[in-house]
Amino acid sequence: MAEPILKVANIETYYGPIMAIRGVSFEVPEGGIVTILGSNGAGKTTVLKTICGVMDPQKGSVVFQGREIQRMDPDKVMRLGISHVPEGREVFPFLTVRENLRMGAFTRRDSDGVAQDLEAVFGYFPVLRERADQRAGSLSGGEQQMLAISRALMARPKVMLLDEPSLGLSPKLVKDIFDIIVRINRERGVTILLVEQNANMALQTADYGYVLEVGRIVMADTCERLVEKEDIKEFYLGIKEQGARGQRRWKKRKTWR
Amino acid sequence: MMDNAMPVSVETIKVEGCDTIPRLFWHQVGARDDRTAFREKDLGIWKSTSWRDYGERARAAGMGLVRLGLERGEVVSILAETIPEWLYVDMGTMGAGGVSNGIYPTDSAKQVEYILSDSQSRFLFVEDEEQLDKFLEARERCPQVRKVFVFDMEGLSDFRDDQVMPFDELLALGRQHQADHPRLWEELIAGSQPEDLALLVYTSGTTGPAKGAMISHRNVIFQIANADAFVSMRANDEQLAFLPLCHIAERTFTVFLPLRSGAIPNFAESLETVPENVREVAPTTFFAVPRIWERFYSGIAIRMKEATWIGRMAYRWAVSVGLQVAEARLEGRRPSALQSLLYQVADYLVLDNIKRAIGMHRVRFAGTGAAPIAPDLIKWYRALGVDMREVYGQTENCGIATGMPDQAKLGTVGVCAPHTEVRISADSEILLRGPHVFMGYLNNPQKTAETVRDGWLHTGDVGFLDNEGYLKITDRMKDIIITAGGKNITPSEMENQLKFSPYISDAVVIGDRRKFLSCLVMIDYENVAKYAQDSNVPFTDFASLCRTREVIDLIGSEIERVNQSFARVETVKKFRLIEQQLTAEDDELTPTMKLKRKFVNEKYKSLIDGMYVEAT
Repeated sequence: MAEPILKVANIETYYGPIMAIRGVSFEVPEGGIVTILGSNGAGKTTVLKTICGVMDPQKGSVVFQGREIQRMDPDKVMRLGISHVPEGREVFPFLTVRENLRMGAFTRRDSDGVAQDLEAVFGYFPVLRERADQRAGSLSGGEQQMLAISRALMARPKVMLLDEPSLGLSPKLVKDIFDIIVRINRERGVTILLVEQNANMALQTADYGYVLEVGRIVMADTCERLVEKEDIKEFYLGIKEQGARGQRRWKKRKTWR
Repeated sequence: MMDNAMPVSVETIKVEGCDTIPRLFWHQVGARDDRTAFREKDLGIWKSTSWRDYGERARAAGMGLVRLGLERGEVVSILAETIPEWLYVDMGTMGAGGVSNGIYPTDSAKQVEYILSDSQSRFLFVEDEEQLDKFLEARERCPQVRKVFVFDMEGLSDFRDDQVMPFDELLALGRQHQADHPRLWEELIAGSQPEDLALLVYTSGTTGPAKGAMISHRNVIFQIANADAFVSMRANDEQLAFLPLCHIAERTFTVFLPLRSGAIPNFAESLETVPENVREVAPTTFFAVPRIWERFYSGIAIRMKEATWIGRMAYRWAVSVGLQVAEARLEGRRPSALQSLLYQVADYLVLDNIKRAIGMHRVRFAGTGAAPIAPDLIKWYRALGVDMREVYGQTENCGIATGMPDQAKLGTVGVCAPHTEVRISADSEILLRGPHVFMGYLNNPQKTAETVRDGWLHTGDVGFLDNEGYLKITDRMKDIIITAGGKNITPSEMENQLKFSPYISDAVVIGDRRKFLSCLVMIDYENVAKYAQDSNVPFTDFASLCRTREVIDLIGSEIERVNQSFARVETVKKFRLIEQQLTAEDDELTPTMKLKRKFVNEKYKSLIDGMYVEAT
């Protein structure tokens, strides 16, 4: 097997005295889509922040294309080719859509390439072209999400870290955005690490998945196999076997197998 | 002393002038009135229940059952965790003349069905929605069950079923019936007879289906009357109730013995919160199975690994001082003046803190039983200053058969209980005789005849009595391994040593008719994951953790360490890790989280065979 483009080994990340990530290890193969599932507070966002340099791990390593990048400044990580689409979008509200996109290409010097990419982004999300000169703060939630993804794309990343792109969006919009994520992956060869609470969507989109619970990975498998697991069905997909009463509200114990 | 023929007492056995459980119970309800019977934690606050309320609720439950047609000798089953309602139903049922039977809340719907049918249960009490579902799944095959009562109706408010009734409604029914027939309850209690069947206890059945052991009132009263030979009993003792009440050990400790002593059980919120609850309660008497003692120990052992250098040194020093004093006492010597002085310092600086960390700083009696335990573990607790004593017994003798007297002897399970006999048969089996021997297995005269012969209960355990009358248990008879080389090996000794490791949750030694010994290990997930994390070993899920070279080496070195204290033929040559995290719901484990040897042998046959194939 080829060396994975991104390899996280045994990272421990703290918020003050609280260890949020307790020895997490996983790999993302080049050109793949990998998802990390987990409930609130499991540590998904912290994992992404640790990779992109916003947070520093106390221990462990993050290896990107054979190079250790843990504790590197976020801008350096970004220059190496890792773009982060943060949770809650975080677009610059008072800048226009076009300016936001240009911010994404801030570190690039090839103006031809930037112009090309701008066209490509508008190709993926035509609505952004329509709103190119509007302030980003006036966009709808879905449009802001498109903008955040596009802004990340403007850096021509090799790896894109997506933090809950489905947050607060309508089911239809979620589907559209995930379709585009797949296209970006296929057409532009961008490797994707996707963190999601919408397990259904994430498992349909990704090739491989990890389940994170209270800072530790408890399950790892291909998404095809994950959707067949009892615990995934019950706790992440909300599918319950029908009990004798037709419904059942109590929860089984998780066994992760 | 033990071998002398001792006349088994035939005269009535009484506690406080009472010879049946309901008589004793009702007598104490009257005598103790507003004194605290037990406590439970409600919304974060420990709340007391008085004996008067305990009695009133038990009576309401019992009278409710009578109102719904419970006849003397009919069976009532309880499917719930360790909660106060369990006690109301237990005492209510027996008071009303019924037979009380506990079912493990971890049992599957199929097992529940089997026990309900085998016991011919007329009524069933379930804790909640989850347990109710097991019955609903099985109900077509359990037509003899008339009614099911639910303690906790959460999630069931819109559920209607003629056969299902909230527990509160039963109590209301019972109170009404009590008002209509004010003398009936006391008449029913007066009608109880010492020789009557009081309870059924289904033995976990590591072989074949579970068997219902029949325990009489006399069996229980006898144990209550004699337990103080080994168990410290004082009114106002504080206890923690958390093990399954279906198990005879917890039932005795939490329900029966307090009938005499007045000790106060405190119901733990759940099995997971035991470490916190035990610190809050700071029990003065505490009984637990070895697994719990092992967990407390490994918690401390792991914490010490992370402590500062000075902390570790202080711990090591203090424990060594404690051990010297403990060893002196075990040998019947008085510790020297210097040792005593050092011990006081060690206790003040270190040992007391450790005891506080595990909630054992007030404990006067710490009991272990229901499974074998490593003698070194007992020694460690004794070094802390916890007077830990092992008791031995089984369901079939209603709890205690032997216990540790003041002069403890490690590696043995102590001496024979008063008014009972222990004998070793020609083929080394431990036999028991006395008023504690049960009535037999329900619906199974053949098994009963095999188990009780000429009044002697055949325990299935192999062991011997030493010259001072202390019983030493070698192993379960059917667990003894005879290797291909013809060597007899008792696996439990090694398994107990292995479980002493904080990284090993349980282990099964294998090797019957094989060339060498091997072992299947269930790792302690928390501690091993922590180890992997600390030593920078990447892993993802449980299976991948078990497969890392470092973890395999870690367990290998733990096994090697244990191997050193055994003769060469008795050492484990190969091992495999069970790559699945098991829970009490799994068939591989007993409700007390022990691996079932026979089941494991079958389920992991290919894994086991693999170890022997490679070798040839």
